[in-house]
Amino acid sequence: MDLIFSRLTMTGASAMLLVALAMMWRRHVPAYISAFRLQSAALAFVGAVVAWFGDVPELFLVAALILALKGWIVPRILTRMEARRPDARALQPLVNTEMSLLISGALAVAAYELSRPVAEVVNLPTRGGLPLALALIMVSLFVVVSRRQAIAQIVGFLMLENGIALLALLGAYGVPLVVELGVFLDVLLGVLVMQALVPRMESTVAR
Amino acid sequence: MAALLLAAAELVLLMALAPGVVGYTRWVKARLQGRRGAGVLQPYRELRKTFGKSMVIADSASWIFHLAPWVVTASTVAAAALVPVVSVHQPADQLGDLFALMALLILGTVFLALGGLDPGTAFGGMGSSREMTVAALTEPTLAIAVLALALTSGSTSLGAIAGTVLANPANAIGPGHALAFAAFLIAMLAETGRLPIDNPATHLELTMIHEAMILEYSGPYLALLEWAAATKLTLLLVLAANMFAPWGIATAIEPGAVARSVGVILAKLLVLATLLAVLETRVAKLRLFRVPELLAVSFTLALLAATSSFFSR
Repeated sequence: MDLIFSRLTMTGASAMLLVALAMMWRRHVPAYISAFRLQSAALAFVGAVVAWFGDVPELFLVAALILALKGWIVPRILTRMEARRPDARALQPLVNTEMSLLISGALAVAAYELSRPVAEVVNLPTRGGLPLALALIMVSLFVVVSRRQAIAQIVGFLMLENGIALLALLGAYGVPLVVELGVFLDVLLGVLVMQALVPRMESTVAR
Repeated sequence: MAALLLAAAELVLLMALAPGVVGYTRWVKARLQGRRGAGVLQPYRELRKTFGKSMVIADSASWIFHLAPWVVTASTVAAAALVPVVSVHQPADQLGDLFALMALLILGTVFLALGGLDPGTAFGGMGSSREMTVAALTEPTLAIAVLALALTSGSTSLGAIAGTVLANPANAIGPGHALAFAAFLIAMLAETGRLPIDNPATHLELTMIHEAMILEYSGPYLALLEWAAATKLTLLLVLAANMFAPWGIATAIEPGAVARSVGVILAKLLVLATLLAVLETRVAKLRLFRVPELLAVSFTLALLAATSSFFSR
């Protein structure tokens, strides 16, 4: 039972990392948005698995909220934002694609090495996914710093948030429901504020 | 002795099936594109016809041009002998393992590129140069992807890897397995010259890779190269099926188990070839300069798979 639990969470976590890596290869914002949507669906899957096997029923609610908010509402807002962007050319990252991927690979290996002490202390069945969550956080942070366009940075930031949520799910079977709801509200508010600020950011930062 | 006979029979089966797999893929693609398509047996007829023709050889070609088709065919046959097709018992284990398989594959690729370069035509040179660019990125990826499985099973013998996955089916879901499979799939498409890296359907395209190298070959040499290419595709499909989902493969050498295993591998090949045809119909060919980026994706995935297998042993 524990074995299936551990394997299922690891599969979900690796799917999330896989999506983040495959995203770096794409060059257009709609691909970034659909990658984020897929990743959120995978996060909801992990949430549901932890809820079922870890016997934390309120996590079902959290998983449903993840699916609704990050899998549907936020991608919709992002799509609208993209439609209003004046020049929808291919994204030009500061670091080229091959280099980005190799750096991400190195970051993921580093995440494995860094999280080894943690994985030795924790004895939850979900501990196998912890390095993957840490890798996802580091890779998303790299997306944020290496992309030039604000909207791609926002997607990177949202993926970072997904990574932190994954770490909470795997490391502690989720945080209390109140905190979780607060985080959701924060994400939604953050995206709405960014939506208002993006045109200004684009005109001052992006060239 | 029985194992040895079975291994020989496996090799014959793989070689005999190979043109059929190519024919089936082409037929499914034609159906998906709304054409009637040539029958599944068409590649066999083409092989028979090409073997019967005489050869036209460029004046500028040296002995390397004559040697290349033999080395390519021989290395592919040797590689095919190492792959477990219907049984996990591989007497060839004593001859070679995962690393020998990769070495044999790259040997064939190198000689194919040499054969393309040798007559000194512009197309051949371009094809060889591209093939080397792609091969330098795919061979390590294939090796690392299978190594990720080898790390979990503690052996680089292909039969032993399949056996371990069979014994611990829970290992089959998890990052090592899933990421390695994704990496293997991308590298396999590049290695066998399928879309989106190379277009197998035409030799009238400026960005072709495999077809550009064999452009100067005709007659029996061309037939050998075509057969070797088909065998390589089948070999990698069988490897994908039996390394990542070995269920149905025989663990004991007895007539019943082996017969069932033959049926299972045929079904797996059918499924994989259909998926390949669907994929080739859905995607467009990549710009040549984006190919290394795609291969960098697969390399990173393979690296991650190996890392996670290593740390979660």
